[in-house]
Amino acid sequence: MKASLGYTLPSDRLRQKATVSIVVSLGLVFACIYMGFDPSMIFTEFHFVADLASNMMPPDFSLFWMDKTIVMAIVESLSMAFLGTVVGGVLALGLAVLAARDTMPFRGVRLVARFVMQIVRVIPYLVVILVFVATVGVGAFAGMLTLVFMTAGNFGQLFMETIEASEKAPAEAIYSVGASRGQVIRYALFPQILPGLIANLFYAFDVNLRTGIALGIFGGGGVGFQLYMAMRVLHYRDAFALICLTVLLIVLMERVCDLLRKRLLGKGILK
Amino acid sequence: MNTYSLRRYRKYLLPMGCMALLTWLSALGCGVHLASAWRTFGTSIGYFSGLLVPDWSAFSDLWGPALNSIFISVVGTFGGAVISLFFGLAAASNIAPPWLRQCTRFLLSLERALPEIVIVLFLVAAFGMGPSSGVLALVIGSIGMLGKLFADAIEELDMGSLDAIKAVGANRLQVMVYGVWHQIVPTVVSYTLLRFEWSIRLSVALGAVGAGGIGLELNRSFQLLDYHRCCSALILVLVIIVLSERGSEYLRKKVNVGGTLK
Repeated sequence: MKASLGYTLPSDRLRQKATVSIVVSLGLVFACIYMGFDPSMIFTEFHFVADLASNMMPPDFSLFWMDKTIVMAIVESLSMAFLGTVVGGVLALGLAVLAARDTMPFRGVRLVARFVMQIVRVIPYLVVILVFVATVGVGAFAGMLTLVFMTAGNFGQLFMETIEASEKAPAEAIYSVGASRGQVIRYALFPQILPGLIANLFYAFDVNLRTGIALGIFGGGGVGFQLYMAMRVLHYRDAFALICLTVLLIVLMERVCDLLRKRLLGKGILK
Repeated sequence: MNTYSLRRYRKYLLPMGCMALLTWLSALGCGVHLASAWRTFGTSIGYFSGLLVPDWSAFSDLWGPALNSIFISVVGTFGGAVISLFFGLAAASNIAPPWLRQCTRFLLSLERALPEIVIVLFLVAAFGMGPSSGVLALVIGSIGMLGKLFADAIEELDMGSLDAIKAVGANRLQVMVYGVWHQIVPTVVSYTLLRFEWSIRLSVALGAVGAGGIGLELNRSFQLLDYHRCCSALILVLVIIVLSERGSEYLRKKVNVGGTLK
């Protein structure tokens, strides 16, 4: 590459593009062969999808008023997501305060908090839910504990970055007139990060609702569990009705969250 | 007035009360039973201590499934990204007619509302267990996320250069390739890499439901109470996730404005 020219020559660029595309396509072909995945199976085996669709087709919505457990499952899913967000958010904030350079003077504590967050962040939820199901039993409680765990890790990192990116001048000003560390956090840092915090917590609720449905499949309770059960016993019409319910629930909660967030942040009552 | 007077905080009383009530209600809804959980906590800690000691001999037959998981997410993300380009074009307001845009946006948002794991449940029911269900679930999941992101990227295009290309006599295809594609390449690549990180994480859970790979091994060895093997699989998963994050971060930094590598 000729750095002196300041730009890449067209011939070099072509060579680069050719290399990248050849490497990518060879890699994809190798991956497909290794897995035994044949892309044409979508067309040759499409009749399986058609069969399944015809089995599911009139979705059995009477399930919702015939079966009381469905209403309970919706309540479970929503409360799982809510508790996961609230408790996980509090834990995340605590971890973030411990890990951020602005709020924690001791390097050792910071490193430990950061390490904990890193570990929690990369552990897949599959393992966490399996452990919690074995500890507290199948049900929404296990799912909720998993959501708390995941939220604390994922959003702790985010909150820490928010704290470290905050404006330093107000904190210094308050500190210079004799405020304690707690007062600096309360009066300089907190008002700055609160709007972002609230917005992120609404986002966390959204994510948790979706993850909670996925967790149900591994024994976390809620709508996901009902869906998995319906699939297990091959009640495809019930399953399709539950799918519609899931989509409706998620879209509806998204709208509600949007509305609430706009009201909360728009009014500026959080200052 | 005293700064520390409680009167200052009176306006927070109602929202805080509502939050406390909601928390209490949802704790009832979840069936939270902290006392008994605390009691079982001690025994389960001892029970799961096996999760901390890996079975070193298990690695030799775990790297195959691990590779499978990686390939599932690579192929799924790539396929999803390619298809999302068309969805992105169809959902962009400056390229597509309004009716097509509304339809596509609606479809994409509907798809985003479905978690991938539910999709894979249905695909497993249709195609059976195997990597194909996982790949297809990731393709469908990627379309929901990337289709919207690509559409937003296309909507922010500089329309002037598109007009310029049109003005010198390019047909529709040429406008797409030289006007649209060349401008959005960096965005497309970085979003795809971001989605790849997601896919790697998802492929673990998808594997347990029926896509195979390291997720299946993890789930199976957990169910068989073989915690040492489970720990080995977990270590592999952690390595894969961290490596994929680092790799995609590195690549994202390297892709510059022209879409070429630096």
